[in-house]
Amino acid sequence: MARRLAAAYNWFDERTAIRSLLRKGLYEAVPVRGAWFYTLGSATLILILLQLITGIFLTLLYVPSVTEAWASLNYLKQHDAFGAIVRGIHLWSAYILLFVIGLHMVRTFFSGSYKRPRELNWITGVGLFVLVLGMAITGAFLPWDQAAYWTAVVVTNIPAYIPFIGSFARALWRGGDFVGPITLSRTFGIHVWLLPVILFPLIGAHLALLRKHGEFGSYINYRGAYRSREGVDVPPAPQQRPIEPPYPALPTDELWAAPLQTEDFYPHQTFKDGVVSVGLVILVFILAVGIGAPLEAIADPSTTSYTPVPEWFFLPLDELLLLVPQQLIPLVLVLPAGGVLLLLALPFIDRDAERNPFERPAVMVPGAFAVLFVVILTLLGSGRLFNL
Amino acid sequence: MAHRDPRRLSRRQFDLLGTQVAGAVAAVLLGIPIVGFLISPLFRREEAVWRKVGDISAVPEAQPTKFEVSFPQQAWTTSDIKAAVYVVKRNGSYKVFSNVCTHMQCPVRWESALSQFLCPCHGGLYDMNGANVGGPPPKPLPQFVHRIDGTTLYVQNRFTETI
Amino acid sequence: MNPLLAIIGPALHLLQGQLPASAPQGSNIVAAQAAIGSLFSLHILIAGLVSGAGELGPAIEFLGYVRQRRRYDRLAHGLGRFITLYFSVSSTIAILLITVLLVGFWGHFWTTIVTIGWWPLLIEAWTFVLQVSLAYIWYYSWDALRAYKGLHMAIGGLLAIASFLQVYMIDVIASYMLTPTNPQNPIRLVLNPTSYPLTVHRTVGNLAYIGFVFGAFCAIRYLRARTPEDKAFYDWAGSFGVLWGISMTLLQPVVGYSYAKEIQLHAYASWYKMMFGTLSPVFLWQITLLGLMLITATLYFGRRLRTDGAPGAGLLRALSVAMVLTTLLAAQPYHLAFTYADVSAAGLDRPFWEGGLINPLGSMIPWKVLALMFYTLIAIGAVVWYLRGLPGVIWGTARRGEERLLLLMAVLTMLMMVTMGFIRENSRAPFLISGEMTIQGQQNTQNSQPTPAP
Repeated sequence: MARRLAAAYNWFDERTAIRSLLRKGLYEAVPVRGAWFYTLGSATLILILLQLITGIFLTLLYVPSVTEAWASLNYLKQHDAFGAIVRGIHLWSAYILLFVIGLHMVRTFFSGSYKRPRELNWITGVGLFVLVLGMAITGAFLPWDQAAYWTAVVVTNIPAYIPFIGSFARALWRGGDFVGPITLSRTFGIHVWLLPVILFPLIGAHLALLRKHGEFGSYINYRGAYRSREGVDVPPAPQQRPIEPPYPALPTDELWAAPLQTEDFYPHQTFKDGVVSVGLVILVFILAVGIGAPLEAIADPSTTSYTPVPEWFFLPLDELLLLVPQQLIPLVLVLPAGGVLLLLALPFIDRDAERNPFERPAVMVPGAFAVLFVVILTLLGSGRLFNL
Repeated sequence: MAHRDPRRLSRRQFDLLGTQVAGAVAAVLLGIPIVGFLISPLFRREEAVWRKVGDISAVPEAQPTKFEVSFPQQAWTTSDIKAAVYVVKRNGSYKVFSNVCTHMQCPVRWESALSQFLCPCHGGLYDMNGANVGGPPPKPLPQFVHRIDGTTLYVQNRFTETI
Repeated sequence: MNPLLAIIGPALHLLQGQLPASAPQGSNIVAAQAAIGSLFSLHILIAGLVSGAGELGPAIEFLGYVRQRRRYDRLAHGLGRFITLYFSVSSTIAILLITVLLVGFWGHFWTTIVTIGWWPLLIEAWTFVLQVSLAYIWYYSWDALRAYKGLHMAIGGLLAIASFLQVYMIDVIASYMLTPTNPQNPIRLVLNPTSYPLTVHRTVGNLAYIGFVFGAFCAIRYLRARTPEDKAFYDWAGSFGVLWGISMTLLQPVVGYSYAKEIQLHAYASWYKMMFGTLSPVFLWQITLLGLMLITATLYFGRRLRTDGAPGAGLLRALSVAMVLTTLLAAQPYHLAFTYADVSAAGLDRPFWEGGLINPLGSMIPWKVLALMFYTLIAIGAVVWYLRGLPGVIWGTARRGEERLLLLMAVLTMLMMVTMGFIRENSRAPFLISGEMTIQGQQNTQNSQPTPAP
């Protein structure tokens, strides 16, 4: 029996070269220390895939029409318990994805993994972050309940503050001066096709670049970490190994070129990745079944009693909208846009080879400020909403 | 090899040029309709229609009263969209406001306890004449183009100024 | 009537076997307020340091462990010593305040607030116990646990959490006094509208305060140090203190503005008093003090780099100039009279160049908001540029000028804290609990209004 299986496998390998493909993929070398932190990237990927799958199945019922969107989801909620769970997974997975992608970005920033030769990896990552945010906000419009409708109104109104082309940009998204059927159709198309078509190839590029240069990991795996410590010697360079991949064959920044100790991706890192990802999926599942995805009353543009409340990931921006006086409103556009530009420019601002976060305070401290500002604005915003 | 006229394209150059031209033509042929499709709604103005709001003879002095009116929605949708209308009577003249906030277009409401219009999103305040008196809104409350026939109010799906 | 006699009068009654009819009345309200106000200020000036040290010390110890640098450990140890020395002073003042002054003069208020804020105060008491015990354990086990740094840092981490919780709980009470909501619901009580902004504001403030104060302390020690090792340590520690203090301070404009926004939305009378009323000159003084502090810090950064010829001193000089200009903008008064009401009453509600008493450049929107943004951005720039230049600094070579600037910063910070306390308490006057209980009202327990049922 075993011989038959082996023969079948050989037949397959002869035609597809699957064996060498698997060896390349599974037996990649990964740094040993701090490995639990490197699971955040795969967790992000798993959650995005979860979104893709649940999203595809939701399109089997949801109708992107202003008269039928809410009705279709209400039908799901009332009459389809399993469908309601799928919708719940889609919502909670989105929320947790945003959180995990933020953690992944902070970890990568902290460890200096964006430095040479991995700058493009970081840049594709920033692109992915922006796209995921775009997916989250366009998805929020789709139910066309009160929350979704007013989110659509406020979010599509933000481009109106761009100088000169503002109302043009707003009308482009809305399909007119006001939110209506064209807005919903366009947003649905953007959410289901336009953004994913850019997102998934970009994920492919991100992963390909990761494989090319190897997982950098954390500074504690490298010789450079010992340089600044008092009373400790820098260990000798690791021996050259015939490994997959390729910790830079040309020693760029010799002290940070190759980790002192590596292990195989499969099964060591895959185990850790699996534990974290499954843990998160279980959490999503519990939240989907326990709380589920809410559906408020159907959209009513003539309401004078409803208080629009932003999605939690938009709280910092909303708090800014509250604080910034009318003469300075364009700032609310400038700050996030400037933030994204700074992120993109990061590998070119911080070009020094040093990867130890405690030895590069000139980068860490502004990064900490940025995170602190976002966290403080979110706290203040949530406190305000509680007392509305 | 015989001497070639340098002005003539070699086979390689011809094929290269041909590939590029084919690509460019395809891109343009595809691009024009797509771009046109995306921006066409900007040039298609919604028809201005008049709709009846109702009898405003009972509206008290200096007390904004809410009415609802239905307008046709954009494009192909046959159902109407509702809008809120605030009618304010002051010294015999009427002002007809929309409740669309000029900050981020949240739904504004009249708060009699404050004697002001309040926008719940970011605390914007407007007085009874629609002037923006507090918070972030940069412009006064929008007014509907309207006419009053006797005691019946009619509004158009247009504001007196674009917001 | 002799104020002292009025204060001990009730005690004398007691000695005669009679309960006093009511709390001290009449002109002694002023004496009582002055006594409570000054003791509270003194308490906060020390307690803020103790809280800040309890949070910052463990963080510095952790940094030192990760970077394997001994001077961090020495600094953290020093902060631990500070807590153990001064905790009792601050606590004694607090006990005196609560048991004698608050119960004696504001008895009705105090029993009401304890009844309403029962759970926060209970948690507060226990975090206080935790804070005391952990602080002493953390400090005294330092050498014993040298081989078990992880455990020692865990104790420090718990101390930091206890210090934070303690400040959070007392801020719940303080914020409730300004924006009381639904006292029967403990969740709503804790999350009342000004609770978050106040807690963030005070936590960040305490952390900044300890930074500046130990910076100043190290400045004095530096000037007195004899050995090169000590000089290097105190020079570095002073710089660290300022860096830390300014980093925390530059978060404050956003938090403070947000706090003021919540006050505007939920306690309008208090907000008006601070911005346009009788407290507006004091608030203007506060924003000026903030500017002076930021100028001093930027000057310090520039000087310290220039002392050792480290790169970056030039830009820091330019940033100092920018900071001065921003302070000039922020310090502009809006109404050129004591309050805005004075200007309105005189009918001079127009710019001064039109014969009025208004200075448009002093308006909050947009000029002071812009000034606050510039404060923040210039401070971030100064911090980053100083950090970039730090590798070129040789510790132990600072000149007297830098150390004087450190001392000035501590003084300015203390002034800001006392001013803030003064503004805070007086903005709510005549209320002790906004809209519900006045200072006068709870003086006479027979006549004071009970807290309305939610």
